[in-house]
Amino acid sequence: MSVTDPSKTDLGFSDPDPQRGGPLGRLPSIVLPIASVLIAFAVGGLLIWLQGVNPFYAYWVMFSTALGTPEGLLRVMEKSTPLILTGLAVTVGLRAGLFNIGAQGQLLAGAIGAAWAGYAFTMPLAFHIPFAMAFGMLCGAAWASIAGVLRAYRSVSEVITTIMLNSIAIALVDYLASKPFKEPDQPISRTPEIAETAALPNFGAIPTGFVLAILVALFFGWFLMRTTSGFRFNTVGLNSNAARYAGISVKRTIILAMAVSGALAGLGGAIETLGVTGRFEPAFNAGLGFDGITIALLARANPIAAIPAAILVGTLRSGAAALQFETGIEPEVVDVILALTLLFVAAPIVGRFLFRKRNIKTTRVTSGWGS
Amino acid sequence: MHRKLLVATIAAGALLLAGCSSSTDETATETATETVAEETAVEEEVVAEDAAAAVTADDSNCAAPENYCIGLVTDTGKVDDKSFNQAAWEGTLLAAEKLGAFTKYVETTDPKDYANNISQFATKNYDTIVTVGFLMAEATTAAAAEFPNVNFIGVDQFQGAPIPNVAGLVFAEDKAGYAAGYLAGLMTKTNKIGTALGTDTVPPVKLFGEGFKKGALDANPEAEVTLVYHEPNNAFNDPEWGAAESRKQLDQGADIIFAAGGNTGNGGLIEIAKDPGAGTTVFCIGVDIDQYFTVPQAQKCLLTSAEKKLVAGTEELVLLSADGALPSGNFFGQTGIAPFHDTEAAVPADVQAKLAEILEGLQAGTIDTGCPACLDN
Repeated sequence: MSVTDPSKTDLGFSDPDPQRGGPLGRLPSIVLPIASVLIAFAVGGLLIWLQGVNPFYAYWVMFSTALGTPEGLLRVMEKSTPLILTGLAVTVGLRAGLFNIGAQGQLLAGAIGAAWAGYAFTMPLAFHIPFAMAFGMLCGAAWASIAGVLRAYRSVSEVITTIMLNSIAIALVDYLASKPFKEPDQPISRTPEIAETAALPNFGAIPTGFVLAILVALFFGWFLMRTTSGFRFNTVGLNSNAARYAGISVKRTIILAMAVSGALAGLGGAIETLGVTGRFEPAFNAGLGFDGITIALLARANPIAAIPAAILVGTLRSGAAALQFETGIEPEVVDVILALTLLFVAAPIVGRFLFRKRNIKTTRVTSGWGS
Repeated sequence: MHRKLLVATIAAGALLLAGCSSSTDETATETATETVAEETAVEEEVVAEDAAAAVTADDSNCAAPENYCIGLVTDTGKVDDKSFNQAAWEGTLLAAEKLGAFTKYVETTDPKDYANNISQFATKNYDTIVTVGFLMAEATTAAAAEFPNVNFIGVDQFQGAPIPNVAGLVFAEDKAGYAAGYLAGLMTKTNKIGTALGTDTVPPVKLFGEGFKKGALDANPEAEVTLVYHEPNNAFNDPEWGAAESRKQLDQGADIIFAAGGNTGNGGLIEIAKDPGAGTTVFCIGVDIDQYFTVPQAQKCLLTSAEKKLVAGTEELVLLSADGALPSGNFFGQTGIAPFHDTEAAVPADVQAKLAEILEGLQAGTIDTGCPACLDN
């Protein structure tokens, strides 16, 4: 693989060495994600069948209630929006060779930041929404930058720091929502409701945030494949030594990639606060960042593919309640399906590692994440 | 580069762990089968016992007057959580059995789905919908306005301004506190009784505390009862404070401590259970529901819990609702104390007898707990 081809998007998610072949070497990159989803659905279907429910009926219920009614569609769009953005957050990190597990913490930072900017200020609508959104992104970016700086200057693994920063973020937002930012005079820990001028409206039946998330995904598709900065991200991700040799500042790129990643997750949280919940409450937003990891891996670190991947996850999450209502199957079956999907998309990466260790001693110029 | 992959593999493992911890009720597949089986069993029982009464077999036609349908929406958690959700569901099942009604539940996984989960039942013309937990109060009020023909029962939802089709199941906490306090007063050897409570700015907590103190002093005028409340902020989620406060009072000679206030109280219970005298010379008292099941780490010291009878309260309200007599506004359910479990042997028979008498008196309203006037001190 050549580092001079910035449009190359597979980054070790498909086989990095086409001459070698290997078990999945010649399959197009879309086969593995689709096969993973189908197998996960098959296993999920088996679990449903074991509980005495026809799996085809169960899946039909999930998808038809989620996609077949206007309210269902609105919910799918609302649920997909933060998932597209956390998926993108993880994707941008992966492109620069960083595995950002901290999208959850960054999203929480963005969600509570936007809530504060939304209720504590009075300003006209034209300024308030962008201000609250930008502040949320800033919070997410700042939170992620802690891991970015540690990685760039102290070589501390971002996998470890972002996991730990998640726990710290959870405790921090709990504190903020129960003390300085708490809505006075009621027992629940939550912030006051945001001002009307900060509330994201809907475009008819379509939430503004959803449109925004898609535009951001398209922008990053272009950014990563067609711009110099995107090229730097990719190059650092593929081979940081080659990047350094080519005159790219690896440290700066790592910090920037982590900050952009955090800003994206923060935007997801901000849109959730400003467009859906109207305030921050610690019980909201659970798991959105972790779903982002599944989405990014399923989309094989392709920003545009993150859109359908996020919508799939959003549809499953949205249909889960109807599944239980109609069939009695517990909504957690969706977690099982998503976990299996993640397992299957990740398995070839592990498999390739074992395979190479025994047989291949070729010298490769580049190395991407997971290779 | 191999090291890099190793990190990735470890990361993937960590990811799975993270996934597990993010949803704590991961008993899914195993219990699902059980629950379904149980449900079928209950339905069959209804058919067998009460063949004469019309039994609503499914919810395909809840609008028909002869069919009665009851829906339940849990707060984030499962119907087998050994806490509010489970108690409300058990009460609903009991009522459904008596009514020959059809009933089912939906478990909320995301607080943003409250409204959607409620309206799933309402749009299918369910007659009564039970929503569990005070966090769902706002969603319940909104749904009640949207579906004026459906009766709503809000478990643990205090009603400020009564809404015609909503009944909030609430409890006279002072009575439960009084009974638990009376028991503590009879049981204490050191004549020092402690407490670690959520904030007194939340009326139910203050009622529990003041009732407890009055009960203890009525049983044992010699006793010294210390009421200690957490500061208002983070009052229910500070287990470290609960533990430290309990420890301090044990060190000062208290031998029975009433730890009440969500996770704050639970922290206290767990700390007390670690004391070498736990279950013999030192006891703890829980709150709301039988905490023997919700905080198993505290079983050793747990004398009882000042209990809200959620099962009976939910059952009663559902029956009233089906009767066309839904009491709008607040409905006071019964209170009492939970079984002794492991500490049964430590409670002498005469204490148990005296306690039964007190519980009867509280029920009949012949005992003055000093509340709700106590809220004004």
